[in-house]
Amino acid sequence: MTAIGANLPRSDGEAKLRGDAVFGVDLAVPGMLHARLLRAPVPAGIIRRIDTAAAATSPGVRDVVIGADVPNQRTGLFIFDTPCFATDYVAYEGEPIAAVLADTPEQAEAAIGKIELEIDEQTPVATPEQALAPNARPVHPSWAKFATAGGIEIARKGNVVAEIVSDPGDVDAAFARADRVVEGFYRAPRQYQAYLEPRMALATYQAGRYTIQVSHQYPFRLRDRMAQVLGVPKSALRIVGHHIGGGFGAKLDLGLEAFAALLARRAGRPVRMVNTAEEERLTAPCRENATVRIRSAVRDDGTILAQDVEVLFDSGAYANNAPAMASIPMFMFGSIYRVGTARIRARTAYTNTAPTGAFRGVSGTYLVFAAERHMDDIANELGRDRREFRLASLADDGHRMLNGQALEQLSILRRAFDLVEQRAPWTEQGRGALRGVGIAAIVWLTNPAPGQATVKLNEDGGLMVVTAATDNGSGAVTIGLRQIAAECLGLPVEQVVVTMPDTDVAGYDGGSQGSRTTHVTGRAVHDATAEVRETVIDKAAAMLEAAKEDLVIEDGIVQVAGVPDMRLSLAEVAMAATFSSGPIAATASYATPPPPHDPERTKGMLFATWPTPTYHVHLAEVTVDPVTGQVTVDRYVIAQEVGRTINPDAVMGQIHGGLAQGLGYALWERVDIDGGRYVQRSFETHGLPLACDMPAVEAVLMEHPEPAGPYGAKGTAEPPIVPVAAVIANAVSDAVGAPIDEIPITPEAVLRALD
Amino acid sequence: MTADQAIAIRCTVNGEEHTLEVGPGETLLQTLRDRLSLTGTKEGCLEGECGACTVLVDDLPVDACILAAAAMDGRRIRTVEGLSTGERLAPLQQAFLDHAAVQCGFCTPGVLMTLTALLEQRPSPSPEEVAAALAGNLCRCTGYRQMIDALLAVAKEARP
Ligand code: FES
Ligand code: FES
Repeated sequence: MTAIGANLPRSDGEAKLRGDAVFGVDLAVPGMLHARLLRAPVPAGIIRRIDTAAAATSPGVRDVVIGADVPNQRTGLFIFDTPCFATDYVAYEGEPIAAVLADTPEQAEAAIGKIELEIDEQTPVATPEQALAPNARPVHPSWAKFATAGGIEIARKGNVVAEIVSDPGDVDAAFARADRVVEGFYRAPRQYQAYLEPRMALATYQAGRYTIQVSHQYPFRLRDRMAQVLGVPKSALRIVGHHIGGGFGAKLDLGLEAFAALLARRAGRPVRMVNTAEEERLTAPCRENATVRIRSAVRDDGTILAQDVEVLFDSGAYANNAPAMASIPMFMFGSIYRVGTARIRARTAYTNTAPTGAFRGVSGTYLVFAAERHMDDIANELGRDRREFRLASLADDGHRMLNGQALEQLSILRRAFDLVEQRAPWTEQGRGALRGVGIAAIVWLTNPAPGQATVKLNEDGGLMVVTAATDNGSGAVTIGLRQIAAECLGLPVEQVVVTMPDTDVAGYDGGSQGSRTTHVTGRAVHDATAEVRETVIDKAAAMLEAAKEDLVIEDGIVQVAGVPDMRLSLAEVAMAATFSSGPIAATASYATPPPPHDPERTKGMLFATWPTPTYHVHLAEVTVDPVTGQVTVDRYVIAQEVGRTINPDAVMGQIHGGLAQGLGYALWERVDIDGGRYVQRSFETHGLPLACDMPAVEAVLMEHPEPAGPYGAKGTAEPPIVPVAAVIANAVSDAVGAPIDEIPITPEAVLRALD
Repeated sequence: MTADQAIAIRCTVNGEEHTLEVGPGETLLQTLRDRLSLTGTKEGCLEGECGACTVLVDDLPVDACILAAAAMDGRRIRTVEGLSTGERLAPLQQAFLDHAAVQCGFCTPGVLMTLTALLEQRPSPSPEEVAAALAGNLCRCTGYRQMIDALLAVAKEARP
């Protein structure tokens, strides 16, 4: 093997370093017009009047559109609750109300200011707790009439977007047998993805078809969502992807694309839209704010007999992917530690705030924060060493998660604890010593969504990989897929080209989410390349008059093993094949089959299994400053299981980046909501991590090749963020000698705890 | 833009002399991207906060999105497009490639300009100095480590 495990450079690196790479916001086409949105200035209210007359005659204006001018049916991923434009009422600050199309962005912006808008403000439903209060005003009065995708059943009522209850029936009896009950209540805020490139869209409409040029993580979902909104067949849409200036989950769903498409069709001209930084902050689909209540029935010998878990998270004004995320608590409790039995109740609520959405490590970041903070609480209550208590509670291979799915390789976690221990031997400092240590473990998934690849051998021996997989920076496409193809066929990686996504050209792909690209699309690339290889061997065997079994392909050369004279270049084989039997190409598809589980326990769950699990242990040592309350991370150690490392530097890049986002979430980043409005409105006030904030990191990669993955690879990019808040909160709690159950852990919170 | 509002400036961009008529409200970023088609300098927040638009003006890194183009008369401007010599990447660019310091790449042009200025002023910076120099450049992807390593490698290479 030469390409697998090698630190080869990414194919788009040079273009990005020269400033040549074309991102969404760099796109321009001749004759394009520009549009801006009028967005709701208040979080909640009844729209009394929208008068666009003055805007329509403003200089340069071509078109002004409100809800009444378009189909405006409600659509959505799972619950069809989201209109294109707010018409009767406003559900969140920043919600689109009207669009103006003009010759320049400045003209469009000026005209937006001329739209007369009268709104009777309502008291916003600002928090999930307010949303569920007995007399709460429903955020959507007609919620009961909202259809669901494919008519699926979702347990919902009023402001409850979705509710998942999984109750095996023996939990209360277990609590009755307990020596003690340990209870914790944990709170986490929203987190803003803070990608640097704002969301944009460039739409054209020609001969009955829409073309959308965009930087998007999931072009096929965009196609499907736009088909819903525009009321046109999926095949009437073509999504062309460009370089993405960061997404982290925020560019998985609809942004501006449908508005641009509607306007392009009405005007018969291309339309470009870009969000301003303020619009991004108001409307980005942040990680959801959430609270988690855990009660554990514990015996004095440390046995956990049962857990009772209640999760409540904020869906914001629309459901988006929240109904699916309500399933995730099922995988974060009773999965790695033996907890006897567990009851899970997860609810997500509508509020008058921007809809929340996906952010790397969806839900896991705060669920693990709660679950692992709680493990410390139990250990402290019992007077046990926190690491030793975890090891004593750790389940064995074959342990069944709450959904009935067996974790066959759970003992990898034991090894991970060992590897971390070798680097940073665990020493309890003594609680409140101003220095603290924290540890946490997780099992994370690899998203199973399908992928397809077509692999073509060009006549010059170069290999072309056609997929709609997107690279939002991780290198999964520009590094991972290329190294997999190069290894499989036996040619230098520089000769492998992967296309940019285009839904007209490539097969369905599940997008850059959940660390799936290397594993799932990588498997499709591997299988298609293997078929190409077989064709090459067949052809070369005939040309060389050799036995197929004797042929090897290395460095782009097919030769009879041990007979250097009997050789052909891939170019020679491809050329001969192309003009005799036809071009050499193959297509393969893959989706991870759902692991066996117990459907009785997963009733109503839109996400029922935890495919292709990976195992991780993180440890942090921190110091708190008793005067300023500042937390310094002195040391951070990670043992991460990856299946198989395709490119070590690229994996490390995901670890550093995920850790930075996790530290920001744990310590510095703020998305406060006051009366339904975001308080922080600039990058500066968000408290995003800077270079000087980053601690030294030691990471060990553990390889346990997964037979279904290409060369054994599993997902790697998402997990590094997941346990960080838990580890930091445990370390700080240790340092201050008091539980810290809310993030971000501000200096004020540290000082309060020290008081 | 009417002619009487326009302001004539002369400046050099990546060593090339330019005489331009710029608008009173025009930013240097607009001049570079829209008039000179130098789109390597990125348009991020447009509020002077992310550093994606960092260019060098008379050797100092600045946010081009909040700098008036009209104030550029007589200035020497450098952008990411001017870093390499033809086919060859500048040592810093090559080090970024070798150290996997590029992910989404949207911050990269700005980061390269900031670090180019740093290397010119302090040929052998400490890791802390590199991190401090990057205080005006947000990167949400990389956690900064591999960028810092890349720069330190270049600095080491250049040492006699
Ligand atoms: S675009 Fe200039 S600082 Fe963000
Ligand atoms: S590489 Fe994406 S923001 Fe820096």
